[in-house]
Amino acid sequence: MPLNEEKQVNHMKRSQILVGSAALAIGALVLSGCSGGGSGGDDGDVTMTLWHNSTTGPGQEFWDTTAADFEADNPGVKIEVQTVQNEDLDGKLQTALNSGDAPDIFLQRGGGKMAEMVKAGQLKDLTGALEGAATDEIPETAYQASSIDGKIYALPVAVLPGGLFYSQDLFDEAGITSNPTTIEEFDGTIDQLKAAGIAPIALGAKDAWPAAHWYYWFALRECSTETLQSAADDLDFSDDCWIKAGEDLQELAALEPFNNGFLTTSAQQGAGSSAGLIANHQAGMELMGAWNPGVIAGLTPDKAPLPDLAWFPFPEVPGGAGEPGAIMGGVDGYSCSVDAPDACVDFLNYLGTAEVQTNYYKAFNAPPVNTVAQEAVTEPYLQQILEAYNAAPYASQWLDTSYGQNVGNALNVAVVDMLAGNGSPEDIVKAVNDAAKRA
Amino acid sequence: MMATLAPTVRRPAGRPARRPARSRGAANRARGNPGVWFVALVVIALMLGPVIYIIIGGFRTNSEITVDPAGFPVVWHIDNYLDVLTGGVFWRQVLNSTIVAVATSVGAVTLGLMASYVLARYTFRGRGVLYALFAAGLMFPLTVAITPLYIMVRNLGLMNSLGGIILPQIAFALPVTIIILVPFLKAIPDEIQEAAFIDGCSRLGFFWRMVVRLSMPGVITTGILAFIGSWNAYLLPLFILNNDAMFTLPLGVQSFSSQYSVDTAKVMAFTALSMLPALLFFSIFERRIVGGLTGAVKG
Amino acid sequence: MPHRENTLEAESTTADLANGDGGGHTPPPSPARRRRSRGLGWAGRLEVLILVGPAMVVFLAFVIFPVLMAAYYGFFSWGGYGPATEFIGIRNYVNILTDPAFIEALGHNGFIVIFSLVLQGPVAILLALLLNRRMRGQSLIRVLIFVPYVIAEVVVGTGWSLLLQTNGAVNGLLDKLGLEALKQDWLSNPDIAIWTLMVIITWKYVGFAVILFLAGLQGIPEELYEAAAIDGASYWQMQRQITLPLLAPTLRIWAFLSIIGALQLFDLVYIIWGQYVAATAGTSTMATYMVATGRNAGNFGYGNAVAVVLFVISLIVALIYQRFVLRRDTAGALTEGKR
Repeated sequence: MPLNEEKQVNHMKRSQILVGSAALAIGALVLSGCSGGGSGGDDGDVTMTLWHNSTTGPGQEFWDTTAADFEADNPGVKIEVQTVQNEDLDGKLQTALNSGDAPDIFLQRGGGKMAEMVKAGQLKDLTGALEGAATDEIPETAYQASSIDGKIYALPVAVLPGGLFYSQDLFDEAGITSNPTTIEEFDGTIDQLKAAGIAPIALGAKDAWPAAHWYYWFALRECSTETLQSAADDLDFSDDCWIKAGEDLQELAALEPFNNGFLTTSAQQGAGSSAGLIANHQAGMELMGAWNPGVIAGLTPDKAPLPDLAWFPFPEVPGGAGEPGAIMGGVDGYSCSVDAPDACVDFLNYLGTAEVQTNYYKAFNAPPVNTVAQEAVTEPYLQQILEAYNAAPYASQWLDTSYGQNVGNALNVAVVDMLAGNGSPEDIVKAVNDAAKRA
Repeated sequence: MMATLAPTVRRPAGRPARRPARSRGAANRARGNPGVWFVALVVIALMLGPVIYIIIGGFRTNSEITVDPAGFPVVWHIDNYLDVLTGGVFWRQVLNSTIVAVATSVGAVTLGLMASYVLARYTFRGRGVLYALFAAGLMFPLTVAITPLYIMVRNLGLMNSLGGIILPQIAFALPVTIIILVPFLKAIPDEIQEAAFIDGCSRLGFFWRMVVRLSMPGVITTGILAFIGSWNAYLLPLFILNNDAMFTLPLGVQSFSSQYSVDTAKVMAFTALSMLPALLFFSIFERRIVGGLTGAVKG
Repeated sequence: MPHRENTLEAESTTADLANGDGGGHTPPPSPARRRRSRGLGWAGRLEVLILVGPAMVVFLAFVIFPVLMAAYYGFFSWGGYGPATEFIGIRNYVNILTDPAFIEALGHNGFIVIFSLVLQGPVAILLALLLNRRMRGQSLIRVLIFVPYVIAEVVVGTGWSLLLQTNGAVNGLLDKLGLEALKQDWLSNPDIAIWTLMVIITWKYVGFAVILFLAGLQGIPEELYEAAAIDGASYWQMQRQITLPLLAPTLRIWAFLSIIGALQLFDLVYIIWGQYVAATAGTSTMATYMVATGRNAGNFGYGNAVAVVLFVISLIVALIYQRFVLRRDTAGALTEGKR
């Protein structure tokens, strides 16, 4: 029955040889590809590429204008501005960096990713190269997030501390006369809001990090600065304060303060997100970073900033080992790739000047790091945020950024599990240790 | 010779095929059977529900969607749709997407058909390995292979060009194309092939002249699938294309997501509009799925 | 009329995977076999080269090579930037296979595979039968049924999210209809979430099945139905005796593609549930696990290792499927396969 499957040995060999040589040829082709780095010649005419993540409106305009202004001041330098959507930026950037195709100037969020880039030698060391306003008018604390082992790898442009954004109108409706400063007062605020039929807290737990932020803030209040530092350095979470922070969060969750369906509510993804709830007066407050006003503005009925938006810092936890007034926030910065021309550093210095920083603030409605530019801030809540930030004894980055993605991710997931009723504070610590195994 | 179609069916020998007179119990000829219509309508309603939601969503604002998710637009805001249609970006992206999708489907179907023909109708050692190799291409997620793929495209000098999208997409469309086409090609009865050879046709000639037409349903189907796959592809264009002018449609959604937020209503409007070309393509070609083997072999 | 053997059997002896066709009925082999030549002459081999060559080159360059490179990283602990330097052998693989989260995801995939077939198959066959007749609006209905498949997954995800969120459109609609009692946490309730996922998957991919079956139905000659009608067969009898067996090859191909697709499922789950809640809600898949513990956790070596595991599992399933389903006459077939 089987037919003429004549074993044509030559046959098989031929197909295999073909396949094999094709693979070899392609392999050779790939391996021979050289990684070009940087761009621009060295005889005065320099072209640089800039990657940022503002795909719309004022943000995009800001970058186009700033690049044009810099080109005008520096003849012979050309900057090509490229926008990449926020969610996609990291992946695209990583691939570009790894293949030697990196843009010259790009958004840097710090943390574990920056550490990896430094380890791979993909970032330009800016220590000592920054000058002018960048060093004089931007405080040291802002550079903490952009430095590793004392070397600076990015210029900070905005600081985005976290806190409770709330709707003054809704608070008035609930009869709340003063903002809570301790956690007990906070619980009281929640009760008042519930009594008035208002969802106290909007939480976008679908993205996990908003939920985890609650945990991080409790940790910031419960853990001493040294504990937090050693957690960052050695990934040591053995201190009791981590469990206590989890218990604090559990107690808060037991009051059922979050909006209905918080597990499936996203944080910022347009309509139906927790920011959207705030924008439409469907919830009283949200714990979020200083970018929130901009997000909320796009989701209000008239697409204008929410007029009654206000802010107060995360309440203190009496008995916690954390320093009162400590604050947590992200820092956006811009880095140069290692092969970028010197004009890149000049551009960063330009970015740090008060004038550009003021424009940045206006475009993004985000607190600038330049202290001179900070004086131009008009929104009351932004002023409050800056005040709290500048007065803080200790400013930490978001914990999931500090501890690197691996641990950060595990923390995020574990907190969501706990809020969904699937885990305990001890499980959070366990999740971190499990994650360390996978690194 | 009277070549009827190959598939084996218990048919009493000697009964000629002839058109019967109006047959009773012709349930399969019932047109407009109300039960059938009802079912069809229900199915369509279910299928289209979410789609209509998206279309209508484009007429609302983000705020409305947040506050009243299940509601109809109070005021039909057409500015979302207008913004998309009048911004020149949309049409350029439609053009780019069309070029890429057409090239991908033509390429995938051509290469896939040639390869499937070999796999279906030749015998040689290593054929199984070849088929397995193509099938294996289905099983590795693209999200992981994207970095080495990016490097390959870059080394070929195809960065930021539509060619850098088209070629890999053809490659990724090949497994499904081949898997679907091989049985179609196998089902072509040998008699036709032998008849062609007797008439002096070579294997390649047979391929060009007859196989393509005989396997038309399969060819159209795989072409449509390749087109849709390319039309919606997001990851590869994202990584390869840096220049706004080269963007394909899925990337266009980016311009409605700012750094920290998404303009949901605009995204819905944009999506509703970007569906249309793909649907148009489908509706043009789906009629051609009929045909193929039937009628090709009578007498 | 000489009994036509099924060409599908004629080639059933070469290696297993080559027979991606399904045997259909198995007639006893008749002596009149079609065998042109014994093996291929030079001309034949050249033809093979010309025909397969281009596809092969493109495929190797853009699929196989990247896959091999990606698999290579699975043996490293790699932060994603710069070259991979920390070789750790199979540690990643050990971690994956002992991680309860992965096993859970694997279980979900199994569930999805089975119910994709169970839910989509019958519905798609019925729809294809419906759409195969000449009737008014046939083209239009075909287009409409295919619409979900056409929409990009990203948008499907966004749309369904808005519909199914706890404070989303579906619950809103139930409110308006006075049916509050039926409101559920469609997405976050672990008991319901996976069924919600199945509904969404069916919605999206039944069009794909229908179009495949439509193409397959074209190969069934009218005369068979007519002859059966003469013999007095009822509609459903005809479907069972004629349509199903003859559609079987197409069915088997569709099932194969559906299984592989179900194993690789990613976009829908990721966009609707997000990487975090997926696990809590019981809808995580191996692919979401891969992204959550790999790319999003900065463990790229680990993520690549998961991709390799996913590949191997798909391959094993495919081989089993090929051996037991796509080849009905096994005599002599298995021995030729392995080299």
